[in-house]
Amino acid sequence: MVSLRTKGSFLKLYGWLPILILYISVLNEFDLNYLNLEYFSFNFPFILIFFFTLKDFKHFDYILVFIAGLFNDTVVGLPLGISSLSYTLICISTAYLRNITIRPNPMKDWFYFLLIISLINSLNYSILTLFFSLDLILMNYLVNTFFTFSFYIVFTSLFKYYLRGLND
Amino acid sequence: MASSRDDFIIAIRSAFLKKSTQQKFSLLTLVFFSLFIVVLSSLDFKVIRYSKAVINELVYRSSFIVSVPENLIKDTFIQVKDYTTFFNKYKKNVDELESLKSSYVSNEITEYENRELKELINDYVSSSNKILAKIIVDHDSPFLKSIIINKGSKDNIKIGTNIYDQSYLVGRVIEVNYKTSRVLLLSDLNSNVPVTIAPQNIQAIVTGSGLDNGQIKYIKSGFLDQLVDDSIVYTSGTGAIFKSGVPIGKLQSFGESSVNEYQVEFYSDFSQLKYVFAEIITETEIPQNVTDADNNIEENNPLDAKLKILEDELSIIEESNKKFQKENENLKSEINNLNYKVLNLNNEISSQKRTISQFNLDTEELKFLKLNLEYGHKCRKSLFNNKGFTVGSVGYKNCVLSKGKIDG
Repeated sequence: MVSLRTKGSFLKLYGWLPILILYISVLNEFDLNYLNLEYFSFNFPFILIFFFTLKDFKHFDYILVFIAGLFNDTVVGLPLGISSLSYTLICISTAYLRNITIRPNPMKDWFYFLLIISLINSLNYSILTLFFSLDLILMNYLVNTFFTFSFYIVFTSLFKYYLRGLND
Repeated sequence: MASSRDDFIIAIRSAFLKKSTQQKFSLLTLVFFSLFIVVLSSLDFKVIRYSKAVINELVYRSSFIVSVPENLIKDTFIQVKDYTTFFNKYKKNVDELESLKSSYVSNEITEYENRELKELINDYVSSSNKILAKIIVDHDSPFLKSIIINKGSKDNIKIGTNIYDQSYLVGRVIEVNYKTSRVLLLSDLNSNVPVTIAPQNIQAIVTGSGLDNGQIKYIKSGFLDQLVDDSIVYTSGTGAIFKSGVPIGKLQSFGESSVNEYQVEFYSDFSQLKYVFAEIITETEIPQNVTDADNNIEENNPLDAKLKILEDELSIIEESNKKFQKENENLKSEINNLNYKVLNLNNEISSQKRTISQFNLDTEELKFLKLNLEYGHKCRKSLFNNKGFTVGSVGYKNCVLSKGKIDG
């Protein structure tokens, strides 16, 4: 009985793991920047949100994603609401992709992801430079987009293992 | 064609408006909500400011706790890196320490003189107090270079407060919460610092490059040729945003082109910061004795204040002069008295001398008379003594004094 209860709470925690990782990543800025590799950076929350909203994961509540965006803005020092808008736009794009897709294809998802993050980063850059007069390096955004796109395939394979574990 | 367009519209509508079983809000609502927050956050209302401060406090603390494991890994990584270069660094530090020790004394003197001069010019004493602050969030974002420290408005931190690593400038505060603040690092693209480049004494602006160094901007093209490697860059204090004379870094040339290009290598390594100093500046007016209202108005002008100081000095000098004159007169009269006393004493001495000489004469006469009674007959000239002398002559006296012996 006890073991069943323990197993139940473990499963519950396991189910909430992606949203937990999302919050840890926005609070911690998990990006390996201390390696001091010039220009190297990637946006882990983009990968996580894109994958789990695309898979229509039941614990991935949009409002929690929205709040994670606010946290990210606070930690990074961006104007409040910018990351929330970006995350919500990813959710919209995945909802659209889900609606138009009959047979999912990982490669198509991957390139669709590149299109979406490019659009969102462009939008971010435009808002920050035009409306908030911040000086930003465009190259940083391009490199960030490239590495986020590259790491997508690595992380999605890990996430698939996670989903398989959850279904089992 | 029409059906595919319909499909697209249906898919879009569904994506924006349809709520899944678990979702409480439609995505369109959230988009509007985010835009609303973006607009609100750009406005500077009191309510928004306080709400932002509360959110910041909560998120910064949470971020600090969540970052503990990553910071542990990061620290280990840095420690391992440090150990590999430990000995070389030690040797370099010893040399540097020796040269610093020698220049420390002269620096202290200069600092003291500088402070005195500033007090004279500014009419107020500016005292600064550096408080130690811990960096609680240091996520080296590729877009914005900033850190969060654990000191806020509670500790008198204000927007613009200068932040130091030892005595090197690190940045300034751009956002203040109750117990935390955000510091914009010098390496950020949005950071602009008015500087002086020594020894050429060239004024310029250093902006962050977005990486780990700074760029020299707004410098006249003619001056660019005068720049050399290892020139010291320090704050000029222009614009009163940063305190003057704070070291930032040194110039380093880069690139292999014929045209000299320089970047600023910061003295402080921003990626290694754990603790920083926040400088709290308090300004206290120099107290002045005001006699009437007119003086008060005049003192608002720094030139008048200087004149007032000079007038005060003059009156002090006059007063002391009067004192000296009075003292002088007293001394003169005292000297006169003493001279009079000396004269009296001299007179007394001369009279005493006279008495003594008289006494000596009397003593000699008495001796002669005594000897005359005894030996006078031997020296007196008579029938039986034709070798003798006439009484009263010098020979007679000498003969008596030599007890009747007649020379010859």
